[in-house]
Amino acid sequence: MTIQQTRSKAASVEFKHVTKRYGKEITAVDDVSLHVHAGELVTLLGPSGCGKTTTLRMIAGLEMVTSGHITIGDTDVTKLPATDRDVAMVFQSYALFPHMSVMDNVAYGLRINKLKKDDVRVRANRGLELVGLKGYGDRLPSELSGGQQQRVAVARALVLEPQVLLFDEPLSNLDAKLRRQVREDIRDIQTGLGLTVVYVTHDQEEALAVSDRIIVMNNASIAQIGTPRQLYDAPKDEFVADFIGEANLMDGQIESVENEIATVSVDSIRFELPAADHTTGAIRVAIRPGRIQILPENSPNAMAGNVLKVTYAGRHMEYQVATAVGELFVVSDVDSDYVEGQAVGVGFETKGPVLLKV
Amino acid sequence: MSKKQPLLLLVSGLLIAALSAPVHSAEKLTYYCSAQEEWCQLMATGFEEATGIKVSMTRKSSGETLAQIKAEASNPKGDIWWGGTGDPHLQAAEEGLSEEYLSPLRDEQHDWAIKQAESAGNQTIGIYSGALGYGYNEEVLKSNNLPVPECWKDLTKAEYKGHVQMANPNSSGTAYTTLATIVQLFGEDEGFEFMKALHKNINQYTKSGSAPIKAAARGENTIGIVFMHDAVAQAVAGFPIKVVAPCEGTGYEIGGMTIIKDGRNPDSARKFYDWALTADVQSRALEVDSFQVMSNKAAKSSPMAPDLDSIKLIDYDFAKYGSSDERKRLLKKWDDEVSVLPQ
Amino acid sequence: MLLWLSVGIVGFCLLPWYVLEDGLWSFEWLFDGYPFNTDYAPAAFLLTQGEKLWLSPIPLFLLFPLVSQVFKHSTAQRSNVLIMVGVAGIAWMVMQGLGIGLRGWNFEALGQLFGPLEARQFGMGFGALFVFATFLFFLSTGIAGRGAVNGDVFVVGAIGLVIAVVTVFIFFPIVQMLSSAVRDNDGVYSLTIFAEKFFQNKFWGLGCIQGGTRCGVAWNSLFLAVLVGFLTTLLGLVFALVATRSGLKRGNFLRAMTVLPIITPPFVIGLAIILLFGLSGSVTKLVADVLDLQPTRWVYGLPGIVIAQLLSFTPIAFLVMIGVVEGVSPAMEEAAQTLRASRWQTFKTVTLPLIRPGLANAFLLGFIESMADFGNPLVLGGNYDVLSTEIFFAIVGAQNDQGMAAVLAIALLIFTLSAFYVQRRWLGKKSYTTKTGKGDSGMHVTMPKRVLLPCYLVAAVWTLFTATVYGMILYGGFVEMWGLNNTLTFKHYITAFGVGFNEFGIHFKGSAWDSFFTTLKIAATAAPLTAMLGLLTAWLLVRQNFAGKNAFEFGTMLSFAIPGTVIGVSYILAFNVPPLELTGTGAILVISFIFRNMPVGVRAGIASMSQLDKSLDEASLTLGASTWKTFTRIILPLMRPAILAALVFSFVRAMTAISAVIFLVSAEYNMATSYIIGRVENNDYGIAIAYSSVLIVVMLAVVALMQFLVNRNGQGSRFAQSRTNW
Repeated sequence: MTIQQTRSKAASVEFKHVTKRYGKEITAVDDVSLHVHAGELVTLLGPSGCGKTTTLRMIAGLEMVTSGHITIGDTDVTKLPATDRDVAMVFQSYALFPHMSVMDNVAYGLRINKLKKDDVRVRANRGLELVGLKGYGDRLPSELSGGQQQRVAVARALVLEPQVLLFDEPLSNLDAKLRRQVREDIRDIQTGLGLTVVYVTHDQEEALAVSDRIIVMNNASIAQIGTPRQLYDAPKDEFVADFIGEANLMDGQIESVENEIATVSVDSIRFELPAADHTTGAIRVAIRPGRIQILPENSPNAMAGNVLKVTYAGRHMEYQVATAVGELFVVSDVDSDYVEGQAVGVGFETKGPVLLKV
Repeated sequence: MSKKQPLLLLVSGLLIAALSAPVHSAEKLTYYCSAQEEWCQLMATGFEEATGIKVSMTRKSSGETLAQIKAEASNPKGDIWWGGTGDPHLQAAEEGLSEEYLSPLRDEQHDWAIKQAESAGNQTIGIYSGALGYGYNEEVLKSNNLPVPECWKDLTKAEYKGHVQMANPNSSGTAYTTLATIVQLFGEDEGFEFMKALHKNINQYTKSGSAPIKAAARGENTIGIVFMHDAVAQAVAGFPIKVVAPCEGTGYEIGGMTIIKDGRNPDSARKFYDWALTADVQSRALEVDSFQVMSNKAAKSSPMAPDLDSIKLIDYDFAKYGSSDERKRLLKKWDDEVSVLPQ
Repeated sequence: MLLWLSVGIVGFCLLPWYVLEDGLWSFEWLFDGYPFNTDYAPAAFLLTQGEKLWLSPIPLFLLFPLVSQVFKHSTAQRSNVLIMVGVAGIAWMVMQGLGIGLRGWNFEALGQLFGPLEARQFGMGFGALFVFATFLFFLSTGIAGRGAVNGDVFVVGAIGLVIAVVTVFIFFPIVQMLSSAVRDNDGVYSLTIFAEKFFQNKFWGLGCIQGGTRCGVAWNSLFLAVLVGFLTTLLGLVFALVATRSGLKRGNFLRAMTVLPIITPPFVIGLAIILLFGLSGSVTKLVADVLDLQPTRWVYGLPGIVIAQLLSFTPIAFLVMIGVVEGVSPAMEEAAQTLRASRWQTFKTVTLPLIRPGLANAFLLGFIESMADFGNPLVLGGNYDVLSTEIFFAIVGAQNDQGMAAVLAIALLIFTLSAFYVQRRWLGKKSYTTKTGKGDSGMHVTMPKRVLLPCYLVAAVWTLFTATVYGMILYGGFVEMWGLNNTLTFKHYITAFGVGFNEFGIHFKGSAWDSFFTTLKIAATAAPLTAMLGLLTAWLLVRQNFAGKNAFEFGTMLSFAIPGTVIGVSYILAFNVPPLELTGTGAILVISFIFRNMPVGVRAGIASMSQLDKSLDEASLTLGASTWKTFTRIILPLMRPAILAALVFSFVRAMTAISAVIFLVSAEYNMATSYIIGRVENNDYGIAIAYSSVLIVVMLAVVALMQFLVNRNGQGSRFAQSRTNW
C-alpha cells in the first residue's frame, strides 16, 4: 500500500438535499447538503440525536436515504448497498469478529474481495504494521487491550484502501490519555496517506483537534460548516457558540450600520464589527470566557461588574462576574488576584465579541 | 450478490425429497393390514418369501384404514387390504373403493366367507371369523366377590357396576358389532334398553376394540366385551382370563380382504389375494396366537379356539348392518340416547 | 440471473415435470422410456406431443426476462419485468396445480366454463420444483431491484422463501382443514352445518355442573388445561425458588431434570402411572391392603391425566420460572431490606410482583401444552374425553368424519390461539428485566422459612415421584410381564433389538430396528433443516427491516400454537392430492417436524442474535461482504450455541413426537412412537417400555454430546434458555 496509490483513490463525498425519515414521524436527517473534499478529514459534531451518526451510516450505505442524492467521487451511490460501496468504517464498539484472529479480522475484507492469497498476507501485515501491531496477528481480539482493539479496527478498515474512511465515535471507549494519543495517530495516518475521512464525535475538543473542517449538526440539520478556527471564533448562532467551547451570551443593540460596519453596544460597552447581514436593532452577542477582560472599576469602555465567585484552576483563574447583562464566566491570567465581592469593570478584547443570528 | 447460495437451499429441499424414495424393485405390493401386528408381519414376510415381491406394510385398525383409503381415493396408494372386521370392507365396497375379483381358490372356502363376498358384489371376501362375547379376569372377579357372568343380561346387573368395559362404537368396529348384535338379538327397542342398562355398569368406553380385555388381563378392569378370540389370546399369553360365550347367543365378525380400486400394483394384489386364501398360509395364524376360524376349510385350527359350532350364533345381517346408513343411524341413536345418560 | 434462467429451463425441458410414482429420488426414469413416457417426460416434451397444454404459458414466462436484455431496459424497467414475470409464473403454477387434478377439473365451475377436460395430472415433481424456484428468484430479484430492503437480493429471496414455505406448509393445510369444516358430506358448503356441529351438546354440554352426566369435551379440555397450567406454574415456581433461593446447591440437579420431558416418548409416563396407580397398580394395591379398602379405578380420567401432565410439563414451567427468578436483581431485594423490610415482606412486596409476568408466561405454556397433549389422555383418559383425542377418533373412528375432526380442531385452535394472543400481548407490553447485564453483585435473599419449608416438601415429593416413574420405566423393560410375572428377562430387548449374523454380515432382525432407523433418519434430516429455517427466520426478524414484519413474525410463530393433531389432520387433507402429493412419504414427516419445531429454532435464534452486536454485521458489510457472506461467515459461527440448541431440540422432538406423526406414518416410514403405540395397543407393555428406554438413552446421549460440544467451545450452553423463550 503505497501512499501514492491511496491518494489517487481518495474521493470526495457529496450530499444533495438528503433527507432520512423513520416511519412517518421521525426525521433523522432533514434536507442536508454537504461536500467533503478528497483527502480531507471532516468531523460531524453535535449532541446525541442530532443526526450525525445517521449521516455517517448513509455514506456507508447502512441506511438508505429517503430522498436526495449521495455521490462518492464521480459515482451516484444513492441506491448502492454497503457491500457495493468503496467505503470502510471503524465502529464505536470496534465490531471485531470475536471468532477470528487479529490477522483474520484484518484480512477479512481482502479475502471477501477475492484478492490473491499472497496479496492478502502482505497487505494485512502492512496494515498491522501501520497501526503498530506487527506480530499480534495470531491473537484473538479478546486478548488485546481496548486501544489495541481500536487499532485493529482501524487497520481492518485501512487495508481495503477505501475511497472514504468512516469513523463512528472511535475513541469513546478509551480513557482520556489514550484518546489523545490515538486521535493523533489517526490524524497522522490520514494526512500521511491522504485519505478522505468522515469522523463522527460528540466531543468538541476532539473535533477541534483532528479536523480539517467541522460540520456541526443540530436537530437533524447542519448548524454550521467551517474550519475549527472559524467555528470557534465566528459561530453563526447561539447553538454553535455554546456547543463549541464555552461562550457568554448576552443581549446587545446594533446602533447603526455604516459601510458594512456595525456599531454595537452591550450595556455601556461599544465596539465595531463587520455587519454581515445584520441591521439596526436588538442582537445577541457571544464572547468566549478568555476574551473578556476584568479591569479596574470605572475603566473606559467597560461595564460595571461584581465578582461573585473565584476559582483557582491551576493554569488560569476562573471568575463569575455579575453584570447588567447577566452573570459572565471569565477566564483570565493565573496571576490576576480579584476577590469575591470586589467591584470591577468588564471589557471585551477587540477580536472577542461575535454577533449571532437571532 | 452470490447466486449459488439460494441454490443450496433448493438442494436441501431436494434432500427432503430423497426420503420419498423407496427401494428399487421390479414387483411390489403396498399392503394395508388391520389384524394384529405379528399376524400382519407374518403375512408380509411370508408373501415376500413365497413370491419375491417386495411388500411394504402399514398396520392400522380397520376404521383407520378405511379412513385412509377413503382419503386416498382420488390417488390410491395401497394395493390390498387384509384383515380387520368385515364391516369397513363392506363399506369400502359400497363406496366403490374396492375392486371386484374372483379367486380360483374360492371353492376351498367356507360358505360364510363366500356369502360375505357375494353380499358385496365380490369386492371383498371373508378370510376368518370370530364370535363376539366377553372375558373376565378371574382374580379381580374373585377379589370383588362377584358371581361368574354367563349371559348378556347378567352384565346389566347392579353388582357389576363399574366392572364392565367395552369400546366406544363410534371408534371401534368391535363395539359396533356388539351394538348391532344386541339390536339383532333383542330387537331395536329392547336392544337399546339393554345398552342403556349396560351403560350404568360401564367403567370406560375405550377407543380401541380389544382394549377392554387387555385392561382386564392386566387387572385394570374386570369384564371386557370383545371378540372371543381376543380374550383367548390373552388367556394363552398367561393372563388370568376366562372366556364367556353369552347364553342368549351372539353375533360374529368376518374378517375381510379387499383389493383396493385403481391401486398401482393390481397384479401383485391378486397374487397376494390368492396366496392368502390357501390353507397352508391360513394355518400359520396359530403361530402368532390368532384364534379365529379361518376361511379355508382345510386350514388347521387351534384346540383353544372357540368352536363356532358350539356357540349359539345369530344370523347376522352383514349387508344391512354393514351399510353406512344403518351404521350412522345406530351410532347416532346410541350417541343421543345412551352415551349422554348419567352413570 | 442467467444461472437461474438455466435452472428454470433445465426444470422445464429436462427433468420430469410430475412426481414419480417411485418418489423423487429414484432414477429409474432415466432408463425407462424417458423422455417419451408421459409419466416421466419433462414439460417441454409433453407440450410438443400436444399434452398438458395448460403448461404452455410457463416457458413464455421463463424466457420473458430476456426481453429486458434485448431492449436494454433500465434497472427499474428490468425490475418491473421480473416482478411481473415472477408473479405471473407463480400464480399460473398455483392455479393450474389447484385447478386440474387427478380427474380433470377440480372445481365444477371450471368445467362449466371451459367444457369437460379429459386430461388429468399428478402432483408436481422435480421439474416443477426447479421452475417454481426460478420464478421465486425472478420475483425476489425484481423486488430487490426496486430498492426494497436496501436492494438486497439475498434478503428478499430469504423472505420470499420463508413466506412461500410457511404459506404452503402452514396456511394452506389449515385453510384446507377449515374449509372441510364448513362442508357437508356431499361437499356442499354450508355454515349451518358448521354451526350445528360446532355448537352441539357433546362439545359444550354442562352436564357435569347440572349433575349426573358428563360435560362437553371443549369444557373438559379447557378445565384440564387451566388446572394443569395453574399447577405446573406453581410447581415450577417452587422449584425455581428452591434452586435459587434456598442456599442449597440443588440447582444443577433440578436443571438436569428439566430435560426429562423432552426426551421421554409419549405414553411412557402414562404406562408407568397405570402400573403404579391403576386398579392393579402397586401403589393402589398397597394402599388398599393397608387401609383395607376396595381398589378403584380412580386414576382413569381427570386425576390420571393431571398427574401425567404435571410430570411432563412442570420442568417446562421450571425453566421459564428459573429464568425470571434469577432475572430479579439481588440489588432490588437488598434495597428493600435496607429499607427495613423483613424477608417475608421483601419476598411478598418485591420478588413476587417482579416475577408475576413470568408466572403468566409459564401458565400459558402449560395451558397450550396441556391442550395439545395427546398421549396421556389416550392412555389415562378413561371417560374424560378431551379435544385432542376426540379429533383423533373422529378421523380414525368408525364414524370417520373429517368434517367433525376439522370442527373439533377449530375449537382447539380457538383456545390455543387465544392463549397465544394473550401471551404475546402481555409480553409485548411489559418489561420485567431488572438486570442490566453487568455490575449486579450481591446474593439472592434466602427465602423465609414459612415459604421454604413447604417448597422443600413439594419439591422432594415430586422429585421422588419422578425418580420412581423413570426408575420403573427402565426396570419395566427387563421383567417378563409387569405386575404378573416379575422374572427378570432380556426378552423384550431381544425381540425389539435383536441382532443376528447371516451371510451378508450383521442382520438387524429385531422388530423395532426398522422404525428405529427410520426415526433416526427422519430426525437427522429434519433437525438441520429446522435449525436452518429457524435461524434464517430469526435473522430476518432481528436484523432486517421490511414491510409486514409483524405479520411475518406472527405467521412463523403460529405453528407453535397449532396442536400436532391439527397439523396431522390438515396435512392429510392438503397433501394427499396434487399439486403436492406427499402422503406416504418420508418427506411429509420431515416437513411436519420442521414446521412444528421451527418456532423453537426462531426463538433460540432471536435470543442469541439479540446478544450479538449489530455492528458486527455492519462491519462485515462495509468491508464488502455480501449479506449472504456476512450471514455465513459472521453470524452463523457466532451463533453456534443457538444452532446446537436448535439442532438437539428438533432432533429430540422429532424422535418423541406423536400427535401429528400418527396421521402421517406409512408402511415404509413408520416412526418409533407409532410403533410403540402399536405395542401398547397390543398389551405388549414390555416391548413398548424397552423401546422407550432405548430411545431415552439414545436421546440422553445426544443431548449430553451436544452439551459437551457446546461447553467445550467455551460459549456456554443456551440449550436450556432457548426453550424458555417460546
